[in-house]
Amino acid sequence: MGAIEHPPIFSLPGVPDHVTYTWLAMIVLVALSYAATRRASLVPAGVQNFMEVVLEQFNGLIDDVIGRDGRRYLPLIATLGLFILLGNLMSLVPGLERPTGNLNTTAACALVVFFAYHFIGVKNQGLKTYLKHFMGPVVWLAPLMVPIEVISHLARPLSLSLRLFGNMTGGHILLAIIFFLMGLDGLIGWALSGSLGGALVGGVGGLIMIAFTVGFLYPLKILVSFLQAFIFVMLTMLYIAGALEHAEGHEGHGDEHTQEHL
Amino acid sequence: MRRSLILAGIAILGVPGLAVAADGGGGWVGPFGVLVAGFAMAFAAGLCGLGQGKAIAAAVDAMARQPGAAARIQTAMIIGLALIESLAIYVLVVAMILLFVQPIK
Repeated sequence: MGAIEHPPIFSLPGVPDHVTYTWLAMIVLVALSYAATRRASLVPAGVQNFMEVVLEQFNGLIDDVIGRDGRRYLPLIATLGLFILLGNLMSLVPGLERPTGNLNTTAACALVVFFAYHFIGVKNQGLKTYLKHFMGPVVWLAPLMVPIEVISHLARPLSLSLRLFGNMTGGHILLAIIFFLMGLDGLIGWALSGSLGGALVGGVGGLIMIAFTVGFLYPLKILVSFLQAFIFVMLTMLYIAGALEHAEGHEGHGDEHTQEHL
Repeated sequence: MRRSLILAGIAILGVPGLAVAADGGGGWVGPFGVLVAGFAMAFAAGLCGLGQGKAIAAAVDAMARQPGAAARIQTAMIIGLALIESLAIYVLVVAMILLFVQPIK
């Protein structure tokens, strides 16, 4: 993989590449928030308008999944969502190293979510009530339910990190191989080398692959970036809702909303 | 028909053996690891396609029956598709480990 990949265009000595680009994503997000709140006015305009639309979308999602009082978790959820979205989009630009394409970054995000939703559950209901819900609906099922619940709770950060990492790295490997096949070592180089067979097959093949990449692969990868960030945020909200909802039994918030909107 | 399939299967399984023999009997898990990675990924992709097809079929059917609930059904469909796809992504991660990290040579 190192043979066909170009090293990133900007790397600090002594710091791994994905950490450098995590810092770049952080700087971009901080600059965006600073520009949005610099002259905060009641009637928004420009960057403030755009950020308010984005945050309203997050608020709408939180209302649907957790309920009205989930809005105090908006900082955690929106920060995770915007950071993962920016990190995913950075994997599309050749020359930048991707922060979320490395298992370290995605595992860090998943561990933050894991500790956050347990902490939220314990803080809202007390330790004993929260632990009692690991034991299942009936008390004598506890020796069966506790290992199952523990394993399923431990599988959540694992699946969160692996899903994000696998999607980003798989797409990146695909793009690297296609660039290699159609680049100066491959089809375009064969077309420019001066031989007639090279110009015919290499030129036509290279043009077809360029059209395929720009027209199909890049939109698909942009869609996958948005989708994976959305899925991460959605699952975070579902875990927080699951940690919060035990107090009222297992009614579920979705049914109440359906009754209201009818 | 069946005999030709059996012969093709033996040939595919025998090719890594030839590679190992030419290599001088070094590691024999590596070539088989490549073969297994390819087959596992193909299997996972095919089954993932089947599962997602059923999910989309059910979602589109429900949206046709009740167009008012289309937004909620679409959200649930997107979440379900991503969760099914993540199973194929796990197989991709194992295949990448077999191909690039090569824990057993």
